[in-house]
Amino acid sequence: MNIFRRMNRAGNKKPEPEMRPAAPEEQDVKPELSHTLNEFKDCADLVHQSLPDKGVHFIFIGHLIGLEAFAREITVPFENASPDDIAQVLGRSQYREIGDSKTLIKDILDGSVAIFHDGRAYAINLCKPETRSIQQSETEAVINGPHDSFNESAITNLSLIRRRVKSAQLKIARLEVGEVTKTEVYVLYIVGIANMEYVNEMSRRIQNIEVDAVHDGNMLVQIIDDQPNSVFPLFPTTERVDSAVSRLTAGRILVVMDGSPSVISAPASFFEFFSSPDDYYQRWMLGTGLRILRFAALIVTITFTALYVAVTTFHYEMIPEDLLLTLTESRSKVPFPPIYEALLMELTIELLREAGARLPTKIGQTIGIVGGIVIGQAAVQAGLTSNILIIAVASSAIASFVIPSYVMSASIRLIRFGLIIMSGMLGVLGLMMSLALIIIHLSGLTSLKSSYLTPVAPNKLSDWKDIFVRAPFWMLRTRPTQSKSPNKVKNKMRE
Amino acid sequence: MGKIKPLAAAALIALLAGCGDQRVLESLAFVNATSYDLVQDKEDGAKENLLICIDVPKSDPEGKMKREVLSTVARSKKDAHLQLAKQTELMLVSGQLRSSLFGLSIARSGIWNYVRALVRDPSISQNVKVAVVNGNAGELLAKRYPEHPMTGQYIDRLLEKEADKMSVPRVTVYDFTRDFYDDGIDAVAPILKQGKKNIEVNGIALFDQDRYITRIEPDQMPIFALLRQNVKNGELSIDIKKSGEEAEQIMINSIVSRRKVKVRRGENGNFIVNIHFRVMGTLREYLGDLDMSDDRHRRELEKRVTASLLKDADAMVAMLRKHNVDSLGIGKRVRNSMSYKEWSKTDWNAVYPKLDIKVTGEMIIKDFGKVY
Repeated sequence: MNIFRRMNRAGNKKPEPEMRPAAPEEQDVKPELSHTLNEFKDCADLVHQSLPDKGVHFIFIGHLIGLEAFAREITVPFENASPDDIAQVLGRSQYREIGDSKTLIKDILDGSVAIFHDGRAYAINLCKPETRSIQQSETEAVINGPHDSFNESAITNLSLIRRRVKSAQLKIARLEVGEVTKTEVYVLYIVGIANMEYVNEMSRRIQNIEVDAVHDGNMLVQIIDDQPNSVFPLFPTTERVDSAVSRLTAGRILVVMDGSPSVISAPASFFEFFSSPDDYYQRWMLGTGLRILRFAALIVTITFTALYVAVTTFHYEMIPEDLLLTLTESRSKVPFPPIYEALLMELTIELLREAGARLPTKIGQTIGIVGGIVIGQAAVQAGLTSNILIIAVASSAIASFVIPSYVMSASIRLIRFGLIIMSGMLGVLGLMMSLALIIIHLSGLTSLKSSYLTPVAPNKLSDWKDIFVRAPFWMLRTRPTQSKSPNKVKNKMRE
Repeated sequence: MGKIKPLAAAALIALLAGCGDQRVLESLAFVNATSYDLVQDKEDGAKENLLICIDVPKSDPEGKMKREVLSTVARSKKDAHLQLAKQTELMLVSGQLRSSLFGLSIARSGIWNYVRALVRDPSISQNVKVAVVNGNAGELLAKRYPEHPMTGQYIDRLLEKEADKMSVPRVTVYDFTRDFYDDGIDAVAPILKQGKKNIEVNGIALFDQDRYITRIEPDQMPIFALLRQNVKNGELSIDIKKSGEEAEQIMINSIVSRRKVKVRRGENGNFIVNIHFRVMGTLREYLGDLDMSDDRHRRELEKRVTASLLKDADAMVAMLRKHNVDSLGIGKRVRNSMSYKEWSKTDWNAVYPKLDIKVTGEMIIKDFGKVY
């Protein structure tokens, strides 16, 4: 229990005995009412009810229990039973007899009602806590297609997935993460489609986690991914059920974490972050067009501002004659060199974006208007920036939002700054050098030990038709090679 | 060490690039057009100095002047560049050069030294246009044309448009250099002339090596195009005069023509060259008696046009041979018909005037409009 030692060292000098988790010798203790109550001492949300005439005690945490189920499973049978029949009632299969105290406490924490009778302890899980209802995802909205999305309850999320994959082959392994929080983490895979090596590797990584708490799927991703020091996200997370299920059937594995609407899928490639469920719900030509648009947006967002800086600082020869005079004219009033001008504007856009992201919608609009006017007009009129830079910065900002994955789009916005600085120092040479460095870095990355640049490196041409374009469904006959599925063919339809 | 090596490599790449030569846009003066002339030295009349003018577009939003013209007289081009740089607060750069103009004076004494300087400078495009000015190039460039505030751009676009219309060949630094080094063709360049309020294309300059020899008159330019190259979108205006009759005026556009040059050996080893052009075009204007909807009449007109074209073409070939300039590139075809060994023994300049050249051609009117 590393983490606790560290906590104690950092915190109080004298460790408080209550902070200590259950000592090993307590494991074999038989569950007793008094002992259980003692464990939950000072827990105001613990409910202790008893039927003294029948010698039955119920202990549970009130807000975890579904009222309806409580009435059906506890109130009705036990109120109606005569004291002699209690043992018979408890013999029903839904009441599990619990042998040791630790399990019982854990069951209570999981939403079970503990029943003490005649020196024995039983538990029945009636967990039905309040959760957010199933809503539309705000971060991954689509126009066509299903609108339900995951919420913070793992049970709901599993049910959403199970409802879409009606197969006993869909296996769900339950793991726990967080030494204090004991958060449930489920690893989902379809036997016969998923490669078990990936499943084992993922389970191993999750089991190796030793932190006090993990609060979100996006946080879990960073703990289990291959290269935590890379800018790029290695596993995509999604809030959309359809997208999660499509990954499951592609032979990838899912990780569902309780308390987080973000479901992790693995392994993944860089290019997967540029596809959206929308691509599949529209005619294939439109889907293809959108895919190409997104990769164009990637190039625009990475290179536009940097190219402006490089060209205006070093390569006046590259500018077409007609553009040259307008560009010079708009630059002539600007007091800074292009690189400072560009960094200033990029920074302002990032400020605006960050401010807008945290504020409620109503104030966010104000920010948008103020930012639009301040940046769009005043900065140019005041001679702080040139018109053309505004266009470059704005179009690269817009292009960055075309990328469907928020995490990926944020990573790309960050590396843009490096490119701008390199372009300011070395011109197009610097731009090309940084692009080369990015590609070198990308090719070194792995996602669950498979290449992050699949299907480009290693080159798998058969996958290209579902990565760079969205080919018609009759052409998409095999699962992606990255998932190394034992069952490769997914579409056997003839015409 | 393991970490220092890649860092050192990155630092080397960054430093060895030597990118200290920043050229920030607003501190540059882009030379758009350059003109070269020879002028007599004031003190020593026999000596000739170089007059260089450059046209620099200005981007000052408040200023009325859209451009600045700098000129200097110097011994050499390098000297001139230094002199010119002293006249402006901005850094003179030639990476946006579009056209270079040579006055007749300098064209007569050879322009290769100056064209070569353009080829050498890596920042100058190979697409810079070369033109000869009938008169003083510096004056043409320095003059203000009220309707065309930016003279450099005006000249560039004029040449570009004329080349698109195929009335003058598109001659860039690349073309000039290629034709200069090729021993089977002589270089050409469009001629510009200063008008009162504008600049006009005034013929085609014919070079021998890099020396201006003679010119093609403006009305003969389409014929030259037909003989020299394939034309994609040309225009022809022809007056056909028959003795005792009124002249027929014919205007043909959307011309597509193909030129074929065939070289064969005669019985005594001499070369027989046949230049054949096939012209197809749309009849746009016709002032004459023939009825175009009648096939026989149309054939008749086609014949007359062909005859007129051939007459001009023969005259042109004769003129070229008289001046011993092979602007049509016949030498290339002759060279291709023999071995290199044989070609290197041949004195082309001596052979060319005596060559048996025959021009044949045909003209087809493919369309004559809706109204007959």
